[in-house]
Amino acid sequence: MTTTWHADPALIASYAADDLDDVRASSLEAHLLSCDRCRQILASTAPRDPSDATWRGIERALDAPHAGLVERSLLHLGVREHIARLLAATPSLRLSWFFAEALALGSAAVAATRTAGTDMAVPTLFLFLVLAALTPVAGVAAAFGPGIDPAYEIGVAAPMRGDRLLFIRAAAVLSTSLVIASVASLALPGFDRSIALWLLPALGLTLATLALAAWMRPIVAACAVGLAWLLIAAIGSVATADPLAAFHLVAQLAYAGVIAGSSLVLIRRYAATEGRIPS
Amino acid sequence: MTVRDDGDDALITAVAGGDREALAELYRRHAPWLVVRLSRRCADPGLVEEVVQDTFLAVWRGAPRYRATGEVPAWIWGIGIRRLVSRLRQRPAVFRWWRRDDVMVSAEDEVLIGVEHGDLGAALNNLSPELRAVVQATVLDGLTTKEAATLLGIPQGTVKTRAARARRELREALA
Repeated sequence: MTTTWHADPALIASYAADDLDDVRASSLEAHLLSCDRCRQILASTAPRDPSDATWRGIERALDAPHAGLVERSLLHLGVREHIARLLAATPSLRLSWFFAEALALGSAAVAATRTAGTDMAVPTLFLFLVLAALTPVAGVAAAFGPGIDPAYEIGVAAPMRGDRLLFIRAAAVLSTSLVIASVASLALPGFDRSIALWLLPALGLTLATLALAAWMRPIVAACAVGLAWLLIAAIGSVATADPLAAFHLVAQLAYAGVIAGSSLVLIRRYAATEGRIPS
Repeated sequence: MTVRDDGDDALITAVAGGDREALAELYRRHAPWLVVRLSRRCADPGLVEEVVQDTFLAVWRGAPRYRATGEVPAWIWGIGIRRLVSRLRQRPAVFRWWRRDDVMVSAEDEVLIGVEHGDLGAALNNLSPELRAVVQATVLDGLTTKEAATLLGIPQGTVKTRAARARRELREALA
């Protein structure tokens, strides 16, 4: 739109100086929307020039990385921004990790279902239970550490305790692993029983890993615990001639003991560091 | 920032294609008046700065959806005033009341009133500041009742009754 009428520069100046009554200001504002020349006069007289800092803020926002699917859904659930970013950067909280986990447990569950009623029924169920107990530990191992975590160096330099980061991520990994394993268990024959069978070992192994992580790197702790678990399961089935010996009542009570002991270690450690280092 | 001669519509098209220089040019052209106009409605310079940033980020993201239905400045103002309203919704009210009752009229200023408003200008000036603020927000800034209520920091019902009262007074003044 072109107009032949233009506002008086003095009027524009008093508008820019915030020294104009509302009615004339409104009429000038309406004119400014359609008149490039008067806008330029205003820009040259405005006392409060939009600073370069404002523009730099815009550029910063344009350069900021986009939040991924996991991070966006976490923010949607009300998780705080920095926690969401830390969780989203966890290698074992990626969609690819979930897929791998679901694939491993799903095929084990399918194998157990297919072989139901045959000679292979018990070995395949054994395989599924061992795997289901092991997946959260693997997730925790892959959650934090040099060479695994893309944000490891940043995390080490950040004013946040490393173990707190590990706990946050381990809690997220554990809950997602439990959900995936539970869903896979639904495919099992008599799943009501088998869920209870792997749950305590899974919790016990994860907490033992976290407790051991005080003295060694999380991945070393996880490997040690995982290896110990495989040995226990294997020795149990060989020594007692019952393949599922590692899931029977006495063994389950032992896992409960491990959970209690590890929790105690973790709580004491958390209490010892709490307050000394800002979280 | 380099200066470009393109029209605003061409700049928006370039912004839609991811041209950051075009956004810089739009900012150079339109941020100054946007700052002044927003500052008349919000006394907090920091908030105005945030709103200006929000606005140009929205221009960046919204450029592909821009249809050349109106003038680019009007489009930018529409974004800006709504960003201001939504920022005010998140914060306690820091808006500035339409304060000035005393009207200074200089000789050259008379002209604009004559051209743009005539009797309407005088009638608007005779409204109480509270009523004028409502007319300004709803009629001139084109806000909804809800948005105007947020901008002015008053309940929606108050906006409605004041708008009705302003209409009545204007009708009487212009009759």
